[in-house]
Amino acid sequence: MEKQKFDSGDFVEISLSKEKYRGTYLESPESGLILLKLENGYNIGFNKKDILKINKIKNFKEEKKLDLNFTENLDKPGIVLIVTGGTISSRLNPGKGGVDFVESPEDLFLYYPEIFNLVNVKKIEVPFMKGSENLDFKDWQKIAKVCGNYLNDSSISGIIILHGTDSLHFTSAALSFFIRDLNKPVVLTYSQRSTDRASSDARLNLECAAKVATSNIAEVVVVGHANSEDYFCLGIPGTKVRKLHSSKRDAFKPVNRKAFLEISRDSIKKISDYKLIDKNRKSFLDFKFEEKIGLIKFYPGQDPKILDYYVKNGYKGLIIEMLGLGQIATSGSRNSWIKKLKEIQKKGIFVCATSQTIFGRTNPYVYVTGRELVDSGVLYLEDMLSETALVKLGWVLGHKDWDIRKKMLENFSWEINDRIEFE
Amino acid sequence: MKDEEYEKIGFKAGLEIHQQLDSNKLFCNCPSILRSDNPLFEIKRNLHLVAGESGIVDLAAKYQHQKGEDFFYQGYDTTCLVELDEEPPHKINEEALEIAIEIALLFNCELIPISQIMRKTVIDGSNTSGFQRTVMIARNGYFDTSHGKVRIDSIYLEEDSCRLIKKEEGSVFYRLDRLGIPLVEISTKPDLKNASHVKEAALKIGEILRSSRVRRGIGTIRQDLNISIKNSNRVEIKGFQDPNIMEKCVEMEVLRQKKILDSGQKNQSEVRNCLPDGNTEFLRPMPGSHRMYPETDLELLKISREKINLVKKNLPRLRREIQDDLKSKGLSEEMIHLLFKYRKLNEFKELYSLHGNAPLIGKLLLVFPKEIASREKRDLEEIESILNLDVLSFVLDKIYKDRLHMADLKQVLERVVSGMNIEEAIKLNKPEIEGIREKIFKLIKDKPGLSINAYMGLIMKDFKGQISGEEATKIINQFLKQ
Repeated sequence: MEKQKFDSGDFVEISLSKEKYRGTYLESPESGLILLKLENGYNIGFNKKDILKINKIKNFKEEKKLDLNFTENLDKPGIVLIVTGGTISSRLNPGKGGVDFVESPEDLFLYYPEIFNLVNVKKIEVPFMKGSENLDFKDWQKIAKVCGNYLNDSSISGIIILHGTDSLHFTSAALSFFIRDLNKPVVLTYSQRSTDRASSDARLNLECAAKVATSNIAEVVVVGHANSEDYFCLGIPGTKVRKLHSSKRDAFKPVNRKAFLEISRDSIKKISDYKLIDKNRKSFLDFKFEEKIGLIKFYPGQDPKILDYYVKNGYKGLIIEMLGLGQIATSGSRNSWIKKLKEIQKKGIFVCATSQTIFGRTNPYVYVTGRELVDSGVLYLEDMLSETALVKLGWVLGHKDWDIRKKMLENFSWEINDRIEFE
Repeated sequence: MKDEEYEKIGFKAGLEIHQQLDSNKLFCNCPSILRSDNPLFEIKRNLHLVAGESGIVDLAAKYQHQKGEDFFYQGYDTTCLVELDEEPPHKINEEALEIAIEIALLFNCELIPISQIMRKTVIDGSNTSGFQRTVMIARNGYFDTSHGKVRIDSIYLEEDSCRLIKKEEGSVFYRLDRLGIPLVEISTKPDLKNASHVKEAALKIGEILRSSRVRRGIGTIRQDLNISIKNSNRVEIKGFQDPNIMEKCVEMEVLRQKKILDSGQKNQSEVRNCLPDGNTEFLRPMPGSHRMYPETDLELLKISREKINLVKKNLPRLRREIQDDLKSKGLSEEMIHLLFKYRKLNEFKELYSLHGNAPLIGKLLLVFPKEIASREKRDLEEIESILNLDVLSFVLDKIYKDRLHMADLKQVLERVVSGMNIEEAIKLNKPEIEGIREKIFKLIKDKPGLSINAYMGLIMKDFKGQISGEEATKIINQFLKQ
């Protein structure tokens, strides 16, 4: 093929040995291939090596965008929109043939016009744009910092954070701990179906998020579909939420606690206790964090020597996600963990226990093995979710002067529920 | 109207045929089964208008959405999360792809080696996702008609939509059972010359499709027609209940467009619905070009040379060709007709490939089971499930090896149907044919030099009822040849 530069969107004619094709040149997701959008709208592909010649017929001409009236809605309560990435912040890029992040607030207006009518979007902040699998504690801190700018601003009723789903429950737990004396709603919302689809779940999620962000709740809340239908959303505590399905709209469920709220387009219903907004309360940030923490999922027969890695690499704390009520191999086993656990704790690693069952409370006293583990120094974290426990451990360990054992069991933001109701 | 008149008015027409394929669904592994029992669940959804990149909303999409309805989707244990738009599509169904390739080859098309599965925006609620997945797999084909070649523009493989169950004020009820059933769309170039040619072409396309693995019955094939005359706008007509109405509908649409032109106006480019009397009514505006974008959840579709060759090797032939072939194998017209009618072609092929003898296989497949069923007063289906291919190929094998007399065949089958094991059933209460054979040989040896008829007389005297004349002749011939 002759070397010539083409841009996505150029109208070209491709010559193969026997035939010619005309259409819009597109970059292919695969190297070695190019795509052509034919005039009937379909894309077909060509191996670069089969192409004799490409002639440019017309340069790419960007379609003129409509003028979007992105103006403040002064009679509505003010909110701040924090856009961090994920499907809900994505749009289709037809030039590249794939999905990437929106480029400007106007794009958001294009995709979600409803929210701009429901509330007065006073500010759109974009601390970063990432898929949530790429986040770490520094990103949680960045989001907290942006929130911090508006917590004590009385013109802002609440904050809505658009976030990827995969690690959203880590971020919601982090914000629950990082923001102290929270005085207004901090709402995280998401979408499981991309925004180019007419069926996207983002619209209802956003509309319900706007309702929560302008309500009287002063909590970190995750808002999303309650079930597969487009009827209503749940508002779930940031520390008691987990992604429990890889693809469904109602992937996020409350665990070991009820949701705070049930929200539809026209109503908002309280389901369980939460803190109320208070204009006199001053919020502040505390996001000290110890990065050297780990989460281990125990499986039968696992060799405890893997713990040596954590010692060697200077880890300060570990959450072990145990079986059942909080069991791992102890003295009755070929590979008992007791000795190794004692050893690593002596070397300064703080060890906590959560359960792989996700639902239910840990309890070390039902079986002998649990008692053995307690005796070795392992701290059982009641009904706390493993992901919440990991974030909390990093946060607690970030405070060098804190009593770790006491603080891990102190209930900061609903992360421990001392009575799980029957459902 | 006469042919010259069609030419004079600049008549242009092309067909778009949608045919369901006989496989599981295109992007999940659910069976392609339509349900008439009560649904197990019903899910409410809303669809939203999505602006294209430029902020422009497609006109057809806008029209569909104006109504702002709630959509209710009815599901069963034969639908899964994919139909509900709750799970990304699975890899394209290979079987459906092979059938589509087969169809493309039957229409003499060039297959497209690399293609991208697209999303076509549809927001009348008939797709839970808000779009239909479709991929262009072939182009530039043709088929023959009495007016010469009709060119195929392109062939697409796509998923069918939900079935509309009912409409109420502000609500539309759809059934998920049909969503995702593989379809091929075959669109011709505007090569059709007149109303009767349209009908002929539609029937011909149907005939070619039915030689491949396609679903049969009401609603499994849908014909759309694009039609215009000189200076008029193209109109798409849907909803032909049967091809017979096509001819009339074409004539009436030509007159309608002509009448509008004669009044100094121009008809709207739109989609119209064919009514039972051949008249048409407005359905919706013509879809624009803003409604197609890539299905980002799936990889590019690649159709390899090897795959095409494999399909080519097993390419089905048209019914007429098959008929000629069966005739040359010795099947009567009547038998050929029954083979098609009862769809026993594959069974026939399989049995014929073992031992030949077309007339006998015809009897085994089409005559005996029916006779036994009516004598025993049992369902034909039940009898056929007992006399399955294994049983039939077993008895054919025995006949081929002379272990079973043709004359006893029906009796053996009756014994199998009555519950006897096939191995037992062929042991009729007769001296072993091997024993008889030896005795016949001995008889001929003892009396050499006689005519065949003389031997026959002797043999039939001794072994009457134990051996048929046909078999006796065979054995005598065998001996005399030695």
